[in-house]
Amino acid sequence: MSAVTAGARRASTSGGRTPPRRIPPSRPAQRPGARLRRWKNDLGGWAFVAPASLLVLGLSIFPAGWALLLSTQKWDGFSEPVAVGGKNFAKLATDDKFWDAVVHTGIYTALFVPASVLAGLFLAVALNRRIRFIGVYRTAIFVPFVASAAATGILSTYLFNPEFGLVNNVLRTIGLPAQGWLEDRNQAMVVIAIMALWGSAAFTTVIYLAALQDVPMELLEAARLDGANRWQAFWRVVWPQLAPVTVFTTIWQTIQAIQLFDLVLTTTKGGPLDSTQTIVYYLWHEAFVELNFGYGSAVAWVLFGITLIITVGVVLYGRRSGQEAF
Amino acid sequence: MTPRNRLIRTAAALAIGALGLAGLAGCAGPTGATKLDTKADVKLTWWTGQDSDASKLLQKLADEFETEHPNVTIDVSPGASSTEDLLQKLSAGFAGNSYPDISYSFGSWASQLESSGRTLDITKQVADPDVKWDEFSEAARATVQPSGKKTIGFPAIVDNISLIYNTKLFEDAGVAVPTDDWTWDDFRAAAKKISDPSTETYGYAYSVSGSEETTWQFWPHLWQNGGEILKGDKAAFDSAAGVESLEFLKSMAVDDESVYLDQTDTKFGQLFAAGRIGMMTSGPWQLFDLNKAKTPYAVVQLPGTDGDHTTVSGPDIWALFDHKDVNRAHWAYEFTKWLTSAEQDERWNVEIGNLPLRSSEVDSAAFAAKVKEYPGLDVMAANAENATKARPTVSGYVGLSEAVGDAISHVLQGDGDAKTELAKAAKQADEALAGE
Repeated sequence: MSAVTAGARRASTSGGRTPPRRIPPSRPAQRPGARLRRWKNDLGGWAFVAPASLLVLGLSIFPAGWALLLSTQKWDGFSEPVAVGGKNFAKLATDDKFWDAVVHTGIYTALFVPASVLAGLFLAVALNRRIRFIGVYRTAIFVPFVASAAATGILSTYLFNPEFGLVNNVLRTIGLPAQGWLEDRNQAMVVIAIMALWGSAAFTTVIYLAALQDVPMELLEAARLDGANRWQAFWRVVWPQLAPVTVFTTIWQTIQAIQLFDLVLTTTKGGPLDSTQTIVYYLWHEAFVELNFGYGSAVAWVLFGITLIITVGVVLYGRRSGQEAF
Repeated sequence: MTPRNRLIRTAAALAIGALGLAGLAGCAGPTGATKLDTKADVKLTWWTGQDSDASKLLQKLADEFETEHPNVTIDVSPGASSTEDLLQKLSAGFAGNSYPDISYSFGSWASQLESSGRTLDITKQVADPDVKWDEFSEAARATVQPSGKKTIGFPAIVDNISLIYNTKLFEDAGVAVPTDDWTWDDFRAAAKKISDPSTETYGYAYSVSGSEETTWQFWPHLWQNGGEILKGDKAAFDSAAGVESLEFLKSMAVDDESVYLDQTDTKFGQLFAAGRIGMMTSGPWQLFDLNKAKTPYAVVQLPGTDGDHTTVSGPDIWALFDHKDVNRAHWAYEFTKWLTSAEQDERWNVEIGNLPLRSSEVDSAAFAAKVKEYPGLDVMAANAENATKARPTVSGYVGLSEAVGDAISHVLQGDGDAKTELAKAAKQADEALAGE
């Protein structure tokens, strides 16, 4: 039954893993006896990749293919599927709820991606120094990343509960009006973005931290000798060195943002008034709650297309401007 | 052969191999008995859809049945981690050809299950006077006969919604408590008086999650105003009666601000138990929590319109599935018949605090004892009489419910007016009903 979700999942892995293209070396002329050896070699190679290939085939390619077939059918999981051709995709074009979901996902992405990249950069710079207990600080930053989104979501419903939540209690204490948070349709998405940020800023922090430690000290020292202050040294020397990492984290976090689902499920379930209905949540709701598996699969494939376009676009842009993020 | 070609070939071979395996698995398995032999060993699988306490109780009953019929083994499990998930599990089970003999099912799934073609038809068996089929409520009987052609199982749990009110809040506000002849205007006035923004107390609560909880609370209003959900195979809830009903709820929620609008389906129950809500329209499943929280409450039937106190009922069912094996079919039927007989039902539904499944149990000692424990349960049982209308069992109902729930949520939160929203919902519902 994972056909639909697998379509979405596949979209997530397709972005990051494209290895740099290499030109295959031309094969030397055949020597007698070499054929058998090559066979053995090949067999060994296949033996190594077989388990992973089977997994990828069975859990990604096959469900994705099945989802593609499903997207041309109308199927509720019980009665016989009916072939409808491109009807599901045609319906998508005029489905207001789907386009609302696209807009909500866009808003979330616009909130989440820049914030998580900037927060990661800031935290990484703050943590990239020799001070006492640095290990403790680094661990503390990373802990929320390990917490599951379900736990984060449930925690946020307590924190942001309008009646008894901690956040509103703090607001009341300092004399500000209490807010509706997750129950206010204009604020719910912001709260979800904050919670997601809390969970995933650690990820960008760790990546930036690693990149910062790769910045050659000589460059910084040279900049200092040339009279740059710390601020200038950072923006003129360090920041350009971080560019590939910035491209990578931006793509990665965008893909994550487009697939927002678990936090919505555990907090608002798409409400209030569908204001936090994201594409993946809508897909899931259509497929598994309303049992429109065909339509859900169509949404999944459109989502896959969107993710692919974004990824290809950014990678091409990166190549053209000479950055090797992937 | 280039490496690329080889890759494609190997991948294709692997894929074909995997498909072949799946195909073989589909064909495998023994063929079922075609001639009934009641002495033959039979193994039944039963998905109860219940959580721990109820599940244990059902396990005990299954054990008892096994002792009485040693050739029958019943494998009891909840089937899924929550009742909602059962539908997915069943759908996956049908695809993989491994599904239970008996499964709990929400009434709203019945037509989908029937359309799978995997259900048994027990219409002939239940005509036997021994089964006392008439003791089940009309709504319950209609639910196990979704299309009217087949009987796909037995009723499992019945309930309906009544008016539950907090006696202390009524006393504090100096408002006369609800009676059996209350009208919705009385209801509205009381809710307004009980509401107090300074203490965050509300007169009434309504779920605006847009789920079936949002939708089914609306049906009594519609029916009492003379409206219908469907006319033929088209949506009819956007009639004048429907608009009037939704306008009424809107006047309470938007004008009076006496309604706690719950974004979830569960929080209002907790707030009621905590004494923050004066009245809620809900069912027997709330009483356990109210007793645990020691909330002072009482129960009456729903307020009425011109003496009409119609309520809505949501029967759930034991669906029976066909495995092309007459022995399994026979024992699945026999077991469910035994389970839903008055004698066993008193030890299960009544014991756990649900309403009695059969009308004959209302006067039983077991139920009387339960009423003592959960005051108001008797009122709810008697309120079954007002459940004169059944929710539609057509397969488009899920989509219809979604559309109506959406409309109600929007209007109650001050977004749009009743007429346009209902008309919009009717259009969506028609699409769902037509199977679009």
